[in-house]
Amino acid sequence: MDFSRNTFDNHLQKMADDTLLLASRVSEAVHNAIDALGSMDSIVAGQVIANDEEINARRYQIENDVIVLIATQQPVGRDVRFLAAILEIITELERIGDYAKGICKIQLLITREDCLRSVISDLKRMSVMGLSMLNDSLSAFINKDVAFARQIPDRDDAVDSLYNDIRSRLVSLMIKDMSYAQNVDYLIWVAHNLERLADRVSNICERIIYVYTGEMKELDGPRKYQPPEE
Amino acid sequence: MNQPGYQPYFSVNLPGRQALSKVWRSLFLVTTAIAVVFLVILVGTLINQSVGYVAIETKTPIASLVSDGHSLEELDKAELVTLLQQNLTTGRYNTLNASEPMETRAKSDLVNLVYTEVLEPEVQETWLLTESIFHGNRIKAEAAELHPDALLQFKSWLNFNLLKTTQSSDPLASGIRTALLGSIWSILITILVAFPLGVGAALYLEEYARDTWVNRMIQTNINNLAGVPSIIYGMLGLAIFVRTLSVITSGAAFGLGSGGSENGRTLLSAGLTLALLVLPLIIINTQEAVKAVPDTLRQASYGLGATQWQTIWYHVLPNAMPGILTGTILAISRAIGETAPLVVVGAATYITFDPNNVFSRFTTLPIQIYQWSSRPQAVFQHIAAAAILVLLILLLSLNSFAIVLRNRYRK
Amino acid sequence: MDSPNNSENAIEVSGLNIYYDKFRAVKNVSIAIKQKKVTAFIGPSGCGKSTMLRSLNRMNELIPSCHTEGKVDFLGQDIYAPNVDPVEVRKRIGMVFQKPNPFPKSIYENVAWSARINGFKPGLGRPSMDEWVEICLRKAALWDEVKDKLHQSGLSISGGQQQRLCIARTIAVQPQIILMDEPASALDPIATLKIEELMRELADEYTIIVVTHNMQQAARASDYTAFFTMDEDRSGILVEYDKTEKLYTNPSDSKTEAYISGRFG
Repeated sequence: MDFSRNTFDNHLQKMADDTLLLASRVSEAVHNAIDALGSMDSIVAGQVIANDEEINARRYQIENDVIVLIATQQPVGRDVRFLAAILEIITELERIGDYAKGICKIQLLITREDCLRSVISDLKRMSVMGLSMLNDSLSAFINKDVAFARQIPDRDDAVDSLYNDIRSRLVSLMIKDMSYAQNVDYLIWVAHNLERLADRVSNICERIIYVYTGEMKELDGPRKYQPPEE
Repeated sequence: MNQPGYQPYFSVNLPGRQALSKVWRSLFLVTTAIAVVFLVILVGTLINQSVGYVAIETKTPIASLVSDGHSLEELDKAELVTLLQQNLTTGRYNTLNASEPMETRAKSDLVNLVYTEVLEPEVQETWLLTESIFHGNRIKAEAAELHPDALLQFKSWLNFNLLKTTQSSDPLASGIRTALLGSIWSILITILVAFPLGVGAALYLEEYARDTWVNRMIQTNINNLAGVPSIIYGMLGLAIFVRTLSVITSGAAFGLGSGGSENGRTLLSAGLTLALLVLPLIIINTQEAVKAVPDTLRQASYGLGATQWQTIWYHVLPNAMPGILTGTILAISRAIGETAPLVVVGAATYITFDPNNVFSRFTTLPIQIYQWSSRPQAVFQHIAAAAILVLLILLLSLNSFAIVLRNRYRK
Repeated sequence: MDSPNNSENAIEVSGLNIYYDKFRAVKNVSIAIKQKKVTAFIGPSGCGKSTMLRSLNRMNELIPSCHTEGKVDFLGQDIYAPNVDPVEVRKRIGMVFQKPNPFPKSIYENVAWSARINGFKPGLGRPSMDEWVEICLRKAALWDEVKDKLHQSGLSISGGQQQRLCIARTIAVQPQIILMDEPASALDPIATLKIEELMRELADEYTIIVVTHNMQQAARASDYTAFFTMDEDRSGILVEYDKTEKLYTNPSDSKTEAYISGRFG
């Protein structure tokens, strides 16, 4: 029994490794995007936008590999949940990668640096919180730590409240001086992307719990903050 | 299905079927019992005839040789020789002395000589084992009345003397030595000839022969030959071995023939005839054993790059061997019991010398038994019964040998 | 279909037709089997895949009514050429059968006999017979399970172990190609997975060609898959031959798709 499915187990391990690699690329992209925004470095921003192609390509490769595995190896039980979760997780990661790309595109559009300065430190904090959630969720995935994965979405509240804070500050800036309106709109998008990043990490955590327990349910319960319809 | 109040009735035919099955069971038990009864009767009759009281009367009363209350065994060698000299004709004494000088003979031999040559015992009357046990006193009274000079002995006809001595017109001195040796020699020849030929033919037919009409015809003929009456084989043996090949079978070609064997009526002819008789049996049995070797073994062997001969030698033969040996020994058992073909080939009915090579004249146990049982004197029936017991023991040992061999190969 | 690079091919079949008397069981098959890969033949019952496999080491010749036309190139030589000895072909292209069929000898003898009849001679610079038996049993992933009972009968072990013994026995002959005719169809699922795993390991050293009626098995264990089916004359034809992952996720032929998804055959 010890060697019955070595090959398949190796394949599963490779899928996990590839997913982690994708996650590290995504997390690097977000980090670089916020850096580029903070330092108004269009070159870095351009690189992040270009690198998104690679992230997408990796994601398709993993997706293809997972489909081949499902087609050829007839995974069942935890194995099939694992592979289904990988499909979900790489989609979330790819979306996070798109947020990084979105932030960089916005960077190229920012014209009023004083407006940016007023919120950049909080945006950085948001990105650090979001990325640490992402990081922790992946370590929970690798360590099969369900209890840890359950705790991570709770940290979404702090991200949400920071988002609310940034948003209200930007709105009041715009009310004072309508000429900021365009830039405020852009920056609210940045904050929104970072807030969505945390939400996607929550989704990843749900998948992790599903892989190791078979439970499939929404984790963070009723949202404390419902963003107004725009 | 679960309708309320509905009870499935499962035992519709049960009592009737059980009764019927009891009837069948008892019927088969009865048939088995009948077979067992016949077997017991056969063996019982034989034993009944081979052991029992015998009244032996000597021509010369023993009292005239030794003093009352003494026996021949108490005399020493010189006294025994004197007894022989006194009571035998000079010619007879000289004949005996010429075959072996009296001085060099053992004492027991001398006692025997006195017993057979001087006393000349003669069986007056014999009784069966059952009579001897249940009516011992009546027999003693009868013997005392009818044969006052006779000695009443409780005798087993089946004894070592029977195996040691050759045939004789004197029932007390008669044995099966020649016949037993003849049987063993002819069976050895049969085995040596029929086993390799039969196994070879079977291997050819099973492993090499293609399915052509010629081979199918050969196969059908072999199957039919197995059912041909044995006397036909005797005729065949007579025509081929005794008549046509007499130069070889008589040993004349090798300068080995002995007296009376010139016409080819020898052990070799007998063995070859019996080999012909069992050959179809051995072929068919071997074919069955070879067929029973699973084809997967052959495939495995070929798949490993073994040749056809390696496959047959290392896998087919060892796995078929238990079946081949069992079949062969059963065929040999049949040959041992055959009389008819040997009579046709020319077994001698009265012969007193041991066969010394395959070109000797011969007799065999079944022929000897047949000859004895057709004699009018009742006493020969007892010897025949004892000889039949020897034949049975021989057959049983062959069969057990087959079982032992089979079990050893199965491991 | 991949355009085969010749040097990578272990065996190249071209225009192969196999007949049982008048009946054509395999029709005009051409296929190039990749070296040191696991290739699976799949297809519905009676599609000629077993017949096809057995033609690759001339085992078909043991059936008197069978005859073969076409070329089977192995080591640059047509194995059906008149001067080729089928015994030599079978030494280089070994075969493992559907039902585990160890010889009724000891485990040790099963391996040693196979080596011996194929001219294995222990000696200087070569392993001793004991070592060689151990090497073969290790390669067949059986050594640890039987090392304490080498002299027990080959029939005393479980079915899966017997099948691995049959594989060890085949390895002992040192073939280049191992043909497996439904090697796991008589085994339980775990023993089946072990055999599949073993096929993967053996592919490092040998070319493996496996016939299976279990398409999941072909999917799990093979690098290349060939799908056979019957045409209107009930003759076996090769429909599609491709990398397994391609064939199982995106087959080119609709018949293949129908078969692997269980909708036909």
